[in-house]
Amino acid sequence: MPIAAVAAPAGYPADYQKIIDAGKKEGKLVVYATTDTKSADPLIKDFQALYPGIKVEYNDLNSTELYNRFIGEAAAGGGTGDVTWSSAMDLQVKLVLDGHALTYKSPETGKLPAWANWKDQAYGTTYEPISIVYNKRLLKADEIPKSHADLARVLANPKLKGKVVTYDPERSGVGFSYLTQDLKNNKNFWDMAKALRHSGVKVYTSTGAMMEKVSSGEALMGYNIIGSYAFLKSKKDPSIGYLYPSDYTVVMSRVQFISKHAKNPNAAKLWVDYILSNRGQQIISDKADLFAIRSDVKGETSMNSLSKQLKNGARPIPIGKETVEYLDQKKRLDFFKKWQQAEK
Amino acid sequence: MNEMPLSKKVVICLTAIAVFLPIGLLFWQSFLDAPFFNVDKKVGLDAYRFIFDDPDFRQAFLNSFYISLGMAFISVPLGGLLAFLLVRTDLPGRNWIEPLLLIPVFVSPMILCFGYTVSVGPVGFVSIWAQKLLGSVPWNIYSMTSIVLIAGLSHVPHVYLYSSSALRSLASDVEEAARVAGAGPLRVAATVSLPMVMPAMLYSGVLVFFLGFQVFGLALVLGDPEGHLVLATYLYKLTNKLGTPSYHLMAAVAMCIVTITVPMVLSQRFLLRNAQKYVTLKGKGARQRTLPLGGWRWVAAGLVALWLAVTVLIPLVGVIFRAFVTNWGEGVTFLEAFTLDNFKAVFEQGNLMRGVINTVLLGVIGGGVSVICFTLIGLASHRKNNGWTRLLDYTVMTPRAVPGLLAGLAFLWVFLFFPPLAPFRKTLISLWLAYSVVWLAYGMRLVSTSLLQVGAELEEGARVTGATPGQVNRHVTVPLIKYGLLASWLMIFMIFEREYSTGVYLLGPGTEVIGSLMVSLWGAGAIDIISALSFINILLVSVGMGIALRYGVKLHD
Repeated sequence: MPIAAVAAPAGYPADYQKIIDAGKKEGKLVVYATTDTKSADPLIKDFQALYPGIKVEYNDLNSTELYNRFIGEAAAGGGTGDVTWSSAMDLQVKLVLDGHALTYKSPETGKLPAWANWKDQAYGTTYEPISIVYNKRLLKADEIPKSHADLARVLANPKLKGKVVTYDPERSGVGFSYLTQDLKNNKNFWDMAKALRHSGVKVYTSTGAMMEKVSSGEALMGYNIIGSYAFLKSKKDPSIGYLYPSDYTVVMSRVQFISKHAKNPNAAKLWVDYILSNRGQQIISDKADLFAIRSDVKGETSMNSLSKQLKNGARPIPIGKETVEYLDQKKRLDFFKKWQQAEK
Repeated sequence: MNEMPLSKKVVICLTAIAVFLPIGLLFWQSFLDAPFFNVDKKVGLDAYRFIFDDPDFRQAFLNSFYISLGMAFISVPLGGLLAFLLVRTDLPGRNWIEPLLLIPVFVSPMILCFGYTVSVGPVGFVSIWAQKLLGSVPWNIYSMTSIVLIAGLSHVPHVYLYSSSALRSLASDVEEAARVAGAGPLRVAATVSLPMVMPAMLYSGVLVFFLGFQVFGLALVLGDPEGHLVLATYLYKLTNKLGTPSYHLMAAVAMCIVTITVPMVLSQRFLLRNAQKYVTLKGKGARQRTLPLGGWRWVAAGLVALWLAVTVLIPLVGVIFRAFVTNWGEGVTFLEAFTLDNFKAVFEQGNLMRGVINTVLLGVIGGGVSVICFTLIGLASHRKNNGWTRLLDYTVMTPRAVPGLLAGLAFLWVFLFFPPLAPFRKTLISLWLAYSVVWLAYGMRLVSTSLLQVGAELEEGARVTGATPGQVNRHVTVPLIKYGLLASWLMIFMIFEREYSTGVYLLGPGTEVIGSLMVSLWGAGAIDIISALSFINILLVSVGMGIALRYGVKLHD
């Protein structure tokens, strides 16, 4: 296909064509991401269809691997991911703070909530509620909590003793960040933590492992599970049900930025714009089953429909200096200490 | 023939570099307070101070110690007994039991433990069945006791291998004497046979003990729910404890593991030397007669069957079952949950499919190249004893002391920051080098066993007629050990298929292998895919074992 066949999307600045041409000349884009290949695949295919000639090399890594690899490669200077896209918001912001991000104002910025763009470097791309999942076969309606405040009541049920699972904050960075968000939004956080610990909560490092336990009945309820996974699993697995707590629901967003060390900076810009565009977000909502962050995207898994369900309960995790608040060693270890004491 | 040719020195030097460069990096990193590639790093003991102050480290250390101890106490007596039963007695079904016995050696503990959670976990099918029968499930697979027990049971084959080959080299006349004097089979085993192979058992005991400190996959899967940490999983936890990966702390833990295991690895050398001394005890000729077990026959068979069921059958059935269902648990029947989607997902996803192909390539081609390298190294020190070969001896032993996970991390650094190697980082070559170094001791043992079988007079004969050392190797030694090398290739293939921890940090597009994909996917919790990959991995290993059995390759020396 001739290069000139691709025109700049409508409403983009006039000189956008230059980025497209340069991106095509680069011909390649390296993405480091935590979103699994299966979910990302429709996005990659559509992006390559939109910009034929740019081949996406998609690296599906877990958030720690991603961070490790990025800082190692950045230091070695041999080239690294052009775009990193990760659900570990704190690690992403840390990389930006450490000066690894390229400043680039996406033409889509205006369509995003203000908090989803930080210094034109880090962009929030999804709007994923943190949910509670439960086993539909084995739990009755009144055995399921409606809100965080309701949790203590439900946990008093001896049936749930040792049958609730959640992230281990000490071993899972994302799990840790959801708990610290709870701490911010919930006056009675430590009471809730106590109730959880006293119910013999079992702690894991991954959503998938927890979902497996809830599905099989080894556990009955999972606390702080990423909503997009719960949604996806519940479609395939008749045992899984999920809910968004009605008092408040923490919302996380996968953060992406362009690396300052990018070898294909133009292709990277095209990708960032594409992911934030209506076209990309529509796929994020419909095919990737992540939740779209743009208000002009409709559908079950979008900020739109979610805002209706959550009313005023949504509490997006901010992107900015406060995201890395708990990377401070002392603060972090203090939290762990209190979390451990909650068991007593 | 006192002067060593330059080529041999080069081989020895290269081996030493491949081993000591990554380990040296780990050592250096442990004395810094930031990643070694950071500009603002400082040298000091902060990393050690931090981990020694950390109650989690103490707990992990203790757990590792218990596991090691438990493993030694469980696997040494059982392994010895099993060797006695299979080598010396008329146990029914001896011939087909042996290959089954070795399954835990060639199937990764990650897969086995994953299988345990499905079959004997709190809602596993065996557990549900026990619940119906007994009213409650009498075990908890996630407890420390279970972890120690499973670690112990799955290392029985390691002890078996050493004890049985020692037993085979002993004549049975002493045992017969004991029998004639009226001793029962158990008494013969306990007071005659096993004491004779005590050095071999002690050697394998030490081996199992330090393998205990490197336990990773088992604790990763079974230690997760109740948070039982061991040293290797503590490394993982360290990453998040401070929010950002802390290489200096990880390196410090690695050095602690190495400090514990190096003396043990070295003591093995000493024990081995003693073990060989013992072999002179063997009777005239190698006449061996099987000992009739009499009434004990079926008791013994039952015990072996029980061990096989617990260690091999239960986990394998669990994995295979999970690979073919969407969900499972109380009230879910196999038929309604049956699916092939898990495999479809593997075939549809580029990285997973590449992982399967890479695993085969690494095992077949990589394994072959490794055997060639091991042979070159073996020839370099063949029938020599000088400073160079002693250096080589220690070089070969050292990687055993380093857990694969960390060796992989160190190799990542080497490939990142050592410019000549940098272009190979994203290729299978990086993995191949890491695997070959991690399994150096094992491979060298395979190759040198073959080399030692070549009579010195054959080589001397060639040399007397004027052959150069190179010609001797090419025309005499190597052709003579050809079949031994082919068998080694097969063994290395199976070990490379099984390996799961070494590739974790080297994982990337182009370097995916089943083992490291499983560890990574475990972190992401993609259980469906892990189970399908496990099944494929078991198939690959089975092919290896099938070939071995078909062509009569001995699965051990």
